[in-house]
Amino acid sequence: MNTTINKTTKTYNRVSDIIDSLTINPNPDAVAVLEEIGTNSSIDEVREMTARALVKRNEPNSLSVIISQRGKGINDMSTVVAMSTINCLLSLEDKEEAMKVLENTISGEGIEEDVRENARSVKALMALS
Amino acid sequence: MSTIERVSQWSHRIFNTTANEQNVRRSSNPFAQSNFQKNILMEDVFESSDKKNVSFTGGITQGTKRIYSTFVGSINDFGKKFYEGIESIKEFGIRMKNGIVGAWNKVCEIGSTEIHPVEGLKNGYNAVKNVLATDMGKLFNTREKEVARLAKLDPHTEVKPMLSNAIKALEEELTVAA
Repeated sequence: MNTTINKTTKTYNRVSDIIDSLTINPNPDAVAVLEEIGTNSSIDEVREMTARALVKRNEPNSLSVIISQRGKGINDMSTVVAMSTINCLLSLEDKEEAMKVLENTISGEGIEEDVRENARSVKALMALS
Repeated sequence: MSTIERVSQWSHRIFNTTANEQNVRRSSNPFAQSNFQKNILMEDVFESSDKKNVSFTGGITQGTKRIYSTFVGSINDFGKKFYEGIESIKEFGIRMKNGIVGAWNKVCEIGSTEIHPVEGLKNGYNAVKNVLATDMGKLFNTREKEVARLAKLDPHTEVKPMLSNAIKALEEELTVAA
């Protein structure tokens, strides 16, 4: 039992290290990898780590993944993942990019109403913080 | 051998406790072979009444003065050594006390601020145990180094397969654990 837990912890740390490396990787392709592999994982913890990594990158394309896309970041089905992403957005020092993406999402065409609604709520929270 | 040298040697033998003498001179001293802390009085301290160069009633000769000063000097020296010995014992005691107090403070610092000595020791013991049980890799920031190394790799060709495999492995392990 302990061996299984240790093995799982090691693998979890390995995933965490790779996601952390993609957070600081200067190559813009890192966002695409996080979006393709991380945000589509069936494990909540991995999606949570990925969403946080995308917020930390604080780039328009990385923020649009976790704000504008259904089922990812603030729109995730898991409350834990969504709340964790919102919390990470609120703790950003430079919120300028995030606010722009939120405004684009709210006013954007072809975006689902529930995604817009979420973006509106988060924008209100960010304005207050 | 001059008188000064002989007196110096004599005083040295009295106060030297490590001496294990075998050589005993014949002399008129009835206590010459007495054992005084394994030291044997070698010199004939009983001066002959015929010798007139030392007289307590009369004046003391220059030679005698030198002898007495050498003897007194050696006693003073002994006193100094004795004092130094006591001082070293005192210092040792202080060092021991400081060491114990320091160790105790360290244990309390590591553990908690509990005043209760048994609880403090328990907490200290647990804290030390936790430190020893910690992954040593963390202490040397190997993970940070690994993250920095991975950050230099190409995301698509190198990192993507790694992440994909690691997530698959984690999924499998979680399935087994469940």
